[in-house]
Amino acid sequence: MSLNDLRDKYSIVGVGYTPQGRLPDRTVMSFYAEACANAMADAGLKKEDVDGIVLYHSFPPEPDQPEPTPYGVAQHLGMTPSGLSHETYCTRNVLFTAIGWLETGICKNVIIVYADNGRSGNFLGRTFGFHSQPAYGHLGLTAVFPLAAQRAIHEGITNGPETWKYIAVGARKWANLNPRAVMHKRTLDFNGYFNSQMLVEPFRLYDNAVINDGGRAYVVTSTERARDLRHRPAIIMGLGMHNRACDFQQLDCKGRPSGARIAGKMAFDMAGITVNDIDACELYDATTYLVETRLIDYGFFGPGEGEDWFKGGTIEPGGRMPINTSGGMLSEAYFMGVTPLTEAVMQLMGRGEDRQLGPKTGTKEPEIILCGDIGAATESEATIILRKG
Amino acid sequence: MNLKDLKDRYAIVGVGYTPQGRVPGRTTISFHLEACANAIRDAGLRKEDIDGLILYRYFPTPSGEFHASAYQVAHRLGITPNGLSQEADCCRSHIFKAMGWLEMGLCKYVVISYADNPLSSGADFLIRMNDIWSDMHHVMYGHFGATSMFGMMAQRDVHTGRSCGPEAWKHIAVGLRKWANLNPAAMMHEHTMTFDDYFNARWVVEPFRLYDNCLINDGGRAYVITSLERARDLKHRPAVIMGHGLANPSFDDAQLKRLERPSGIKLSGEMAFNMAGITINDIDACEPYDCFSWGVESDLIDFGFFGPGEGAGWFQGGTTEPGGRMPIGTSGGLLSEAYYMGVTPLTEAVMQLMGRCGDRQLGPKTGNKEPEIILCWDKGGLPHGSMSTTILRKG
Amino acid sequence: MAYEKPLPQVNADNKAFWNGCKEHELRFQKCQECGLVRWPPSIICPDCHSYDTGWTEATGKGKIWSFVVYHVAYDKAFESELPYVVASVQLEEGPRILTNIVGCSPAEVKCDLPVEVVWEDIEGGFSLPKFKLLS
Repeated sequence: MSLNDLRDKYSIVGVGYTPQGRLPDRTVMSFYAEACANAMADAGLKKEDVDGIVLYHSFPPEPDQPEPTPYGVAQHLGMTPSGLSHETYCTRNVLFTAIGWLETGICKNVIIVYADNGRSGNFLGRTFGFHSQPAYGHLGLTAVFPLAAQRAIHEGITNGPETWKYIAVGARKWANLNPRAVMHKRTLDFNGYFNSQMLVEPFRLYDNAVINDGGRAYVVTSTERARDLRHRPAIIMGLGMHNRACDFQQLDCKGRPSGARIAGKMAFDMAGITVNDIDACELYDATTYLVETRLIDYGFFGPGEGEDWFKGGTIEPGGRMPINTSGGMLSEAYFMGVTPLTEAVMQLMGRGEDRQLGPKTGTKEPEIILCGDIGAATESEATIILRKG
Repeated sequence: MNLKDLKDRYAIVGVGYTPQGRVPGRTTISFHLEACANAIRDAGLRKEDIDGLILYRYFPTPSGEFHASAYQVAHRLGITPNGLSQEADCCRSHIFKAMGWLEMGLCKYVVISYADNPLSSGADFLIRMNDIWSDMHHVMYGHFGATSMFGMMAQRDVHTGRSCGPEAWKHIAVGLRKWANLNPAAMMHEHTMTFDDYFNARWVVEPFRLYDNCLINDGGRAYVITSLERARDLKHRPAVIMGHGLANPSFDDAQLKRLERPSGIKLSGEMAFNMAGITINDIDACEPYDCFSWGVESDLIDFGFFGPGEGAGWFQGGTTEPGGRMPIGTSGGLLSEAYYMGVTPLTEAVMQLMGRCGDRQLGPKTGNKEPEIILCWDKGGLPHGSMSTTILRKG
Repeated sequence: MAYEKPLPQVNADNKAFWNGCKEHELRFQKCQECGLVRWPPSIICPDCHSYDTGWTEATGKGKIWSFVVYHVAYDKAFESELPYVVASVQLEEGPRILTNIVGCSPAEVKCDLPVEVVWEDIEGGFSLPKFKLLS
């Protein structure tokens, strides 16, 4: 079978939310359980119908909690699923694993879930073990991307903050329409962006994702089975995956082209569409810089053209290419690739409420949404194109 | 697709070995690299062909070593695979993951690799496993490690009469050691074991003595899986996946519900046998997940080789040994060859079906039937969160 | 002498359980919808997925479902107690919990023997539920 035969065969049929933000009286296990239970219920499925659970990479647990394992999550939910897996080190094949299980017939309905209590715990400290070179004071995830961005500025691919400000402010405007978003009540303008604290130059505070407690899950199944469930499905039109798998010290791998080029081509080929058919994007915005570079790689504009493209509110409510309509990881909540994907699903299901793409926000009603997922320091990349079911 | 349609679609086409045992002066990642590179070469492939890589399980690397992540292994192998994964805990979904990616067309050749460096690094293996338990309220009571968690289940089984206890387990330990004595690569190759040796060994966590426990060793092992169609163009006769099953009972040991409901072995076994369309009467040999001797006895009951309480009688007379009617653990297994979790039994089955086992080759050399079909299994989670069964046949 | 054994990990899910222990009460969550008494503590009922949870006090009586006897000290703090017994006790109310059997020699411990809770007050204000054989 070729990847392209998978076009439209699978769909996302339910999303599970939990409270999100600063929630010190919750364990990470409780977020896993709640997100999964809510996703099943949202899809109109009973736990007996769900036979696969895939956990995104989880960070080392806080000292007062055990490590979340998939069989621990299953135990809390009273389930004995045929498929169980837990990724480590941020590889982004989770949806491919789930679809692979559906293809082989071992599973009928698979949940994909992410949860953490990063806000109440020591999030950054827990990421230090990864990609760090402590002897040089180079620590944690916030350090890696600025290093690459600096090179990108030097090469003229981006002009840096003069472009990134649009991304940060745009995400915040969407968050201001979303009561769930961590930054819902806080507005941001360009001054606010530039005045925010420089963290690891050239990145300021608002170039980075929020850190929050909470969880999010979604259910994937065959489009055929989806027709009998509760909501109109978000159909997976295209999928692509690539792992550049470079040691972050070999920085050139973070230059052009990224895994998004290859994963994007795979996904667009499967979908049989081009970037002109895309109505909105839900991209992996752990940093503003990533959004800009992926838009370049997907073909929305060329290197160095970012600032002009974003100017005039392109990605904001009312803009011609809405991006990260929940507020994204920059302003809504950080659940790795589950944040952008679930927002795309909700938009296509018509459940975006005040931020619903369409007349309410002065944007086109979405038929096709482009989603991205990036793992580690861009070593692992997935592209998913969803269409309204 | 129906699970049954997977029968004979996929095959294992190469195995990569590394030095194993106490191997100082090496890192975990170096064992991954060596195992993967050797597996790729063994299959008759080049690294450019490999578009899927799955690391069997994450362990925190011993201090001083960089992370043995899937990215690091891929980078140092010089590959950029479409499919890349590393299991964080002990789920045993690797083969379904690989088959899924192959079925989807995401990958053509997937390498699965296990490596660790616990012996020479002095990293406390049991405590590293300890870190991943979930909600188990163990440590304040002095409950650590896998021996105790399996021992808890074994004790119950002995109490109910399902297990014959050490009178069955001694056969398992001694039998596997005899196979190891035929295998120069086995950690215990030069150490023989009698029943007296078994009983005289010290207690670890009762009811388990020393030789009821699997080894801990440095080293790595990898294998390549691809479609049967592609396998025909490669170096060795393939080991064809006739049947495969996966089941996750997902209960912790304090609940121990696992002993009151069909185990993951029973369920994954049924799945695998249904897919293969055969019964245990068609099985010529077994490559078990022998983390603990009791487990092998229990699994053989679950598969239907004998009934509860019949183990001691069934093993009697060298049933599982060289020359016996049901050879079990022909490399020496996890108990006497090397501990690579499910990769140990699976790769041994592959080598046997490929006819590459030298002095331990099933057939005239060992006084056994030449194998056509071998039953393998894999168990993960503490104690039994995730289990898989694989039935391989000669290609 | 300083208490060197590991202390309980108290978190939002199990806090009420450990608070009960401090008062020498064995408390478990009881689902208000389906009545399941559950263990380990969780935000959700594993049977019916209800979040509606109350707490119930257990009698502290049960049976040894299974046990092991440690002859090695994986943690030095337990060395002086070798050999010691860790057991899974099936309580009358349903849950099985991990614990120690105390007050007897390991040789006296057998599956299915009736036991009842005894409390060991330790450092940090904690109290551990352990079990003794009923004579």
